[in-house]
Amino acid sequence: MATASNFTFGGVLVAVVLLSGMFVPSGTAAAQDSQASMGTFQAPVDVDTLGLPGPRQPIFYRHDIHAGQYEISCKYCHFAAEVSQEPGMPTVSTCMGCHTIIGTGNPEVEKLRTAARDQTPPEWVRVHTLPSFVRFPHMRHVNADVQCQDCHGPVEEMPQVYQFASLKMGWCLDCHIQREVTTDCTACHY
Amino acid sequence: MTDGMNRRGFLKVLGATGGGAVALSGCSSDAAEKLIPYLVPPENQIPGVATYYATTCRECSAGCGLHVKVREGRAIKLEGNPDSPINAGKLCALGQAGLQGLYNPDRVKAPMRKGADGEFVEISWEDAVGEIVTHLGNESGDRIAFLTGNESGSFDTLVKEWLAAHGSSNHVVYEALGYEALRAANRQLFGVDAIPSYDLASAKFIISFGADFLETWLSPVENTRGFTEAHSYSGGTMGRYVHIDPRMGQSAIQADEWIAPKPGSEGAVALAMANVILRVGAGNIPPDVFRVRTLIESMTPDVAAELSGVSAEVIERLAGEFTESRSVALGGGMGAQHEAADSTAIAVMLLNYVAGNVGETVRFKADAPAATGSYADLRALRDSMSRGDIGVLFVHGADPVYQSGFGSAEMDNVGFKVSFSSYLDETASACDLILPDNHPLEQWNDFRPASGGYLLQQPVMRPVFDTRQTGDVLLTLASATGNNSGGLGVTNYKEYLRDQWRSIQRGLQDRSQFEVFWNSSLQHGGVTPDSADTRMRLARSASQAVVSTWSPSGEGLTLIVYPSPTLGDGRGANKPWLQELPDPITKITWGNWLEMSPATAEELGVVSGDLVDVTTLAGATVMSDSLPVFVYPGIRDGVVALPMGQGHRGYGRYADNDTVNPTHLLSPQATTFGGRSHYNTVTVGFGGGHHERLAQTMGRNRQMGRGISQFTTLAALIGHGEEEHHGQHAAPIPEHIEEIVEEWQEAQWDDFRDKGNYAGEHPRWGLSVDLAKCTGCNACVTACYAENNIPTVGKDQVQRGREMSWIRIERYFEGGENGEPHEISLLPMMCQQCMNAPCEPVCPVFAAYRTPDGLNAQIYNRCVGTRYCANNCPYKVRYFNYYDHQQPGDPFFSFPEPLHWQLNPDVTVRSKGVMEKCTFCVQRIRGAQHDASTDGRELVDGDIQTACQQTCPADAIVFGDLNDPNSRVSQLAADERAYHVLGGLNTKPAVTYLKQVRNRAEA
Repeated sequence: MATASNFTFGGVLVAVVLLSGMFVPSGTAAAQDSQASMGTFQAPVDVDTLGLPGPRQPIFYRHDIHAGQYEISCKYCHFAAEVSQEPGMPTVSTCMGCHTIIGTGNPEVEKLRTAARDQTPPEWVRVHTLPSFVRFPHMRHVNADVQCQDCHGPVEEMPQVYQFASLKMGWCLDCHIQREVTTDCTACHY
Repeated sequence: MTDGMNRRGFLKVLGATGGGAVALSGCSSDAAEKLIPYLVPPENQIPGVATYYATTCRECSAGCGLHVKVREGRAIKLEGNPDSPINAGKLCALGQAGLQGLYNPDRVKAPMRKGADGEFVEISWEDAVGEIVTHLGNESGDRIAFLTGNESGSFDTLVKEWLAAHGSSNHVVYEALGYEALRAANRQLFGVDAIPSYDLASAKFIISFGADFLETWLSPVENTRGFTEAHSYSGGTMGRYVHIDPRMGQSAIQADEWIAPKPGSEGAVALAMANVILRVGAGNIPPDVFRVRTLIESMTPDVAAELSGVSAEVIERLAGEFTESRSVALGGGMGAQHEAADSTAIAVMLLNYVAGNVGETVRFKADAPAATGSYADLRALRDSMSRGDIGVLFVHGADPVYQSGFGSAEMDNVGFKVSFSSYLDETASACDLILPDNHPLEQWNDFRPASGGYLLQQPVMRPVFDTRQTGDVLLTLASATGNNSGGLGVTNYKEYLRDQWRSIQRGLQDRSQFEVFWNSSLQHGGVTPDSADTRMRLARSASQAVVSTWSPSGEGLTLIVYPSPTLGDGRGANKPWLQELPDPITKITWGNWLEMSPATAEELGVVSGDLVDVTTLAGATVMSDSLPVFVYPGIRDGVVALPMGQGHRGYGRYADNDTVNPTHLLSPQATTFGGRSHYNTVTVGFGGGHHERLAQTMGRNRQMGRGISQFTTLAALIGHGEEEHHGQHAAPIPEHIEEIVEEWQEAQWDDFRDKGNYAGEHPRWGLSVDLAKCTGCNACVTACYAENNIPTVGKDQVQRGREMSWIRIERYFEGGENGEPHEISLLPMMCQQCMNAPCEPVCPVFAAYRTPDGLNAQIYNRCVGTRYCANNCPYKVRYFNYYDHQQPGDPFFSFPEPLHWQLNPDVTVRSKGVMEKCTFCVQRIRGAQHDASTDGRELVDGDIQTACQQTCPADAIVFGDLNDPNSRVSQLAADERAYHVLGGLNTKPAVTYLKQVRNRAEA
């Protein structure tokens, strides 16, 4: 790319405007204003990675930049959360939809681009694990207007994702009792 | 709960941390779990949501349609394709177990070559192809031979075309269940080598002469569907079914009347019935019967009675019943294929013909493929092999060393032998090169069933191993040897297949674009056009037909080797689901046995479990210490029977057990009609004097008056007669006791109906099982294993009564003593989901409890394994994990890689020390509720199907909400035939059984 810097800059703007228009819930003032398309939340530029909670990931993927600063909807990447028990992990091609253009030169983005070029997907370390005898149907919760943050915490402010809630049965039941929904064992255990 | 943490350790951690996720992370694998995303989103796949692909089952020659459930790129369950005219969404046990062929741990994982030391070493596909090219270069003409199983589609065409391109026409087709007698009869009578379609559904009277049509004969699922339609009780009517066979097999259980003639004489009975029909002049006798009139007239009922031991009165009565209503006679079963089996088939076809059934209930479809191959062809190949006339032999889909005793005299005289087998079976082990074919679920292919139509197979997932489709290998070879002109010029087999389908489309005069035709065929699993019948008239050769009988030579016993309802001809033997599947009659697992009547056993001085040796007159023998006796009242005195399918030496870890190969006891000579005789004369000795505990899943063969499986008669139902009593009914409960119990029950229920989770409206899930439909085929059992991740435990554990089958078919002998006819009652037994469950109050940890929607749930993570619940269950439907069946290294590990790929991700895999049981497929109930909620609709009756119900070929099982008065299940629960098993215990089961109905002959 001969005109790399200009082109990239333009690309960032176009992509950001596109993304915010498409995926930020309409009606928020931030979405209307391209200057404020960075959102109200500003992800910190330098973070003390050593001090961050949660497991180190093969790529230092920043939920706080994607979901917080740019307000990309969770469901853009976790695409199956409304229809499936699994939320869905974004495919490398989903990442490359933007990162073909955006973020070149960023060493973490370069790891992604290398992964895409070499056809070796990154091996993310799992943060939220339920025992094998528990069923957690994401779609039932998402469709009942439970916010992602209710269980996963303020992911949009986490530079590195950590387990927010205990995910213990009592914690699940608290919410189920409060919302007056089923507390039958076979709702989750079978 | 795996990896180095025992139960006590687990409880300790649980105590220390207060329980929950932290402790449980200690129970899962120590290594951090990785989430590896896809590079590119796969088409049609949403993680966590199953995708279904239509393809065709290739476990036998019936050609049932499949819907394969695929989750995250792996096939996890097979279900019938509702669009298929053959199976209409249903599947048998063998079909259900197709998955264990796909994920079999003993599959050949890559091409292999036999080294100088006789050991196989893996080689590359390129080297393998190169080696064949070299050998093909040295041979020409019919010295190149190709042996295949029944492949009546494009692959068959390809093999012939490929052979022709290499100058050979030596294509031998052999199917162990080849129905040579039936085909020979049709050649003789009608001049066609064809297998007809039988319309059982519209018949009111079905008579079978040794055709095991509900187990293996031709198309068992299709037959079962038709039979259910004809024979199940509804609205005061039902059909009648008579079975004539020296042995009562699974099909004969359903018979209203079982007649055991002298072995080898069924043909005489059939012909005598035709004789009566001609004499009486009943029915629409076709005019060209004159060609066979002399033959039929020679067999009067008296002559037949002499030959068969069936009285002339019975023959007269059966002939009357046969013409009274729409009828069909079935003959030509492999379990009745003796040296005069063509006579049986001729007599049965003539019986159909004189009664005017040919063209009505017996139909020859115009588009049915021509039947090919026979045992005689295989014999001819064997001879030319031993003469050294074969230079290169290719074997695909046949195992002649196991099936037909090919030995080193044949195999070693062939220059170069190539096997396309997926297993190191007996034949593959004797070959020089093994080029493993893809499993049918990994293939592009097609198949033409005998009932007509064209079925497609598509790969439902990527190949598990480094295997290649044989069609592709042949095309590669053709291009490497430069013989790739014409149709062989395509790059791969899929293209070849599509070319074939272009001509199929032309033949069907379908004018749409090919892609439209192709995609629609893929979507539906093929095309089945309505085809006309071929009108059959007696050919000139019919007048030369003769009908003879077979009889044993000398004083010996008659041995019958019949196709196994669970293992078929033996190719299912390396699937643990099928090995552990109890035989419908004997309920024996993991082995074979010798059936004989109580009188014969007494004469020989043996009891069930004694290990005997069997010797033929020619001196062939199977030795003791492996073949146990099973004393069975449903077999004629002087006859012994042995199922096919066991006795492999090789093939795989499950098949290679210490059982006997029954084909060793059959004459290696082909019969006059080109088949193989499954009858022989033998002597049985008890020289070894050893005994074993049968690996049987039945505790008692008789009901002992407990009224578990009940029946009534048609006459009693329509008010023409009294209920019959075999003493099988439980004593009735006095009415006042019933009332008291009812009140108490109601009061108890009132206590908690408004509390917590139980408040409000709930469904009560229930099941109904119509015993008048159930044929005991076991399809539900295997479907349950597949759906619910049930481990197989092996012979040793079954002998200790520790099998895990959540649903089992109970089989009880009735009568057979004091001159009463022998009958069998069946009952599928699964958890009864009692309203008043004995298992619940004894559980100290509330692992067994009642859900608001009426299930007796079992919460595996809460269970501590006291086994009190199982001890308190009167139905014996709770199963305990004595071992870690899911744990590599456990002595009873049952999912060796890659068998565990099949596991249903929606069902917990249970660990050691946990009690498990049927919960009406609660994962399907919750799944359907999730789907309905996601789509914003209400559940309707029929949305939820349990796995057993889904597959039941007889449609005997219905699931639904008992609280909904309009649901099918609640209407069936109110049927006049409805009863609860052990209802006197006041367990209030949610499973309702409808009594079996026997349609007795009118006196």
